[in-house]
Amino acid sequence: MLPVRPMIAIHDLVKQYGRFTAVDGVSLEVMPGEIHGFLGPNGAGKTTTLRMIAGLLKPSSGRVLVNGHDVATEPEAAKASLGFIPDRPFIYEKLTAGEFLRFHGGLYGLPEEGLDDRAREMLELFDLARWENELVESFSHGMKQRLVMCAAFLHRPRAVVVDEPMVGLDPRGARLIKDVFRTMSGRGVAILMSTHTLEVAQEMCDRISIILKGKIIARGTVPEIRAMGDGHDDHLTSVFLKLTGGSALQEIDEVI
Amino acid sequence: MVRPFPYLLWPHLFATRNRARRREHGDSTRALLFGGVGIVVCAVLFQASSWLAGQLTDYEELGDYLLRLGLSWLFLTFLSFLAFSGVVTALSTFFLAEDLRLLVAAPVATRRLFHARFLRTVVQASWMVVIFLVPVLLGVGWAKCAGPLYYASAILTIVPFSIIPVAAGTAATLVLVNTFPARRARDLLMLMGLLFAASLVILLRFIRPEQLLKVESLPDLTDFFATLQSPITPLLPSFWAGETIFATLRGGRDLLHAGALWTTALASIVGLRVASERWYFAGYSRSQEAPKARFTRFRTLDVVARALPISSVRRQLLVKDLKIFLRDVGQWSQLLLLLALVLVYLYNFRVLDLQRIPYMSEFLKNVYAFVNLGMAGFVMATVAVRFVFPAVSAEGNAFWIIRTAPITLRDFLWSKFWTGLVPVLVLTEFLTIAANEFLGVDPFLKVMAAIAIVFMSFALVGMATGLGARYPRFGADVSQAAGSYGGVAFMLQAVLFVIVMIVLLGWPASFYLMHQFRRVPLTAGQQIWMTTCFATAAGLSVALWLTSIRAGVRALEAMGE
Repeated sequence: MLPVRPMIAIHDLVKQYGRFTAVDGVSLEVMPGEIHGFLGPNGAGKTTTLRMIAGLLKPSSGRVLVNGHDVATEPEAAKASLGFIPDRPFIYEKLTAGEFLRFHGGLYGLPEEGLDDRAREMLELFDLARWENELVESFSHGMKQRLVMCAAFLHRPRAVVVDEPMVGLDPRGARLIKDVFRTMSGRGVAILMSTHTLEVAQEMCDRISIILKGKIIARGTVPEIRAMGDGHDDHLTSVFLKLTGGSALQEIDEVI
Repeated sequence: MVRPFPYLLWPHLFATRNRARRREHGDSTRALLFGGVGIVVCAVLFQASSWLAGQLTDYEELGDYLLRLGLSWLFLTFLSFLAFSGVVTALSTFFLAEDLRLLVAAPVATRRLFHARFLRTVVQASWMVVIFLVPVLLGVGWAKCAGPLYYASAILTIVPFSIIPVAAGTAATLVLVNTFPARRARDLLMLMGLLFAASLVILLRFIRPEQLLKVESLPDLTDFFATLQSPITPLLPSFWAGETIFATLRGGRDLLHAGALWTTALASIVGLRVASERWYFAGYSRSQEAPKARFTRFRTLDVVARALPISSVRRQLLVKDLKIFLRDVGQWSQLLLLLALVLVYLYNFRVLDLQRIPYMSEFLKNVYAFVNLGMAGFVMATVAVRFVFPAVSAEGNAFWIIRTAPITLRDFLWSKFWTGLVPVLVLTEFLTIAANEFLGVDPFLKVMAAIAIVFMSFALVGMATGLGARYPRFGADVSQAAGSYGGVAFMLQAVLFVIVMIVLLGWPASFYLMHQFRRVPLTAGQQIWMTTCFATAAGLSVALWLTSIRAGVRALEAMGE
């Protein structure tokens, strides 16, 4: 049997802005069917890393491979295997949801026959079917977020990179997204997901990487990460705060 | 402690100050260019008004009558402009501005908010009128050797004169927003405004103002001005402003009209404040509602695009760009003004009376063919800077979609180029061919101009696309991208290119025409020289086109670094 190849692989990834190093030698692998949580405090380098994987930012050094294709040397092949969901859902406001998905399908080279059906299928899946012929400008934040997800899964990607998927979603939307992600990972899609919501990471992720000041400081399954704390707390919060230096939070009580 | 209402203007003032402090690439070039143009315009206005007022002084009573009518007419024009500008500005400052969410949620009384917003609306809506009025009034005062009272009264007149129409405009906005959703009202207004401007341009041209300059049409001129007076004119603030200034110009004073101006201005502020306290929040609340947007589907566009022999990616990019453009009133409505200018442009060639100088008419026709080519080049540059240059910026914050898609940025930029090229080429070819037809120029020049337009379109659209990619403004309003550093740089290069092209084409063409006129055949050496000039023009266009696009692609690729 052939060894399973990681769908997303990053090696010694570095991103510098002048003297400031936003991402400092990050290495990571996400296997097919795995949901990998990417945690870290604000400004730790999560979004920068994800944007480099998506081909939005050029790394200062290091390699990014998606489905075995190097993003630097074979960007089109790598991007064709990837779905990207950014933290803020900026879309063309003057297109309808259906038009946007058809446009997106065209960009990813989906054949025009069957594209309408596929777009409708995705809109049904993300509970947006009745909005197919409405302009995006009349959508709420959560609806836009779900539309971006429709687009990300439209071309049946092998790997998906998600930046803060639950921001702006109502509990029903959040539940829906969790179900979709689980179903997709069940079908072998590798998902790399950055989030601040530790409960989401705890509930959904097979493995977790914690990044701080551009470096991975912890990695493992949820029980392994939990074991890095004092072992008394079932939740990841105390471990996360311990690892990322959140002790200052204790002063809040005094201030308030 | 409740701070006085100017406190609410602080963020705006600080933002202006910070913007002024921030240094960007090309700031000095832009300042030099726009500042220079501004100074020249002001100087021309001053010179023209002082010359006109000086000329009118020679006609005793008739001159005074015409000056008085002229002032009234000038203020009437600005009155309508200020009222319209007031409606548009108030829509933005009172209902659509982002910071209102913060201010309306804060414990700020509607009265204080109204004062702050109204002051901002008056300044924003009237600064341009004031900039135009000041040199004109200075010029008149200079020509009539007016005393300091004239200048003081001019200032005291402009202030209430600006307040009254802006208050009327703001009131209209209040009614409008309480009737329609604010965002739809904005589109409607934008369209109405541009239709108004376009019809004004056409009307002003079709009444053939050049006829008024003839001495024999002087009675017509006075009739023309007199028709502008109607029974309601004395009831308008423009009349009061004109009368107040005219009185001080003659050394007297007109307290009745000055009083009417000030009391009306103050009364309109008080009235508007009361209305605002009663209906502002209801209107603001309505403006927050997201109505089901009305739009056109453009199904035909999909059908036509499907029939085009282009790749699926290019087809989708084309359909997306066209639909976004056509659904955004702010983007396409400016085409109406362009259409009006095109009509005026062609009309000018239609009414050009070259037969007045028969022995020169043949020569002049052909000279005009080059003027026409140059004009077409400038029209092309203007259209390109407004509609092609912002093509990359128009992707806005959604540009991540293109950058994460499996298409090359080269394909993306070429798609932008072709989308821009076709309309620009069709428009300028039509203009050139129609104008040359009206003029009846030599067939050789007709063909040469038509071919030159093809090359120039490729070069200018290529330059606009390339520079648009090198200096994109993703966060800014698309219509403002033309005024950015890249837009100004494009216009400078475009003008230079058009001039070089006219020289490269005009020189050998005039040589050819001269020989034809004298019925002398061209020598082989002269033919080679002509061909070299034409080939250089073609080569220059192709080189500019390709290098600009390449530089644009490189800039887009370097964006993630």
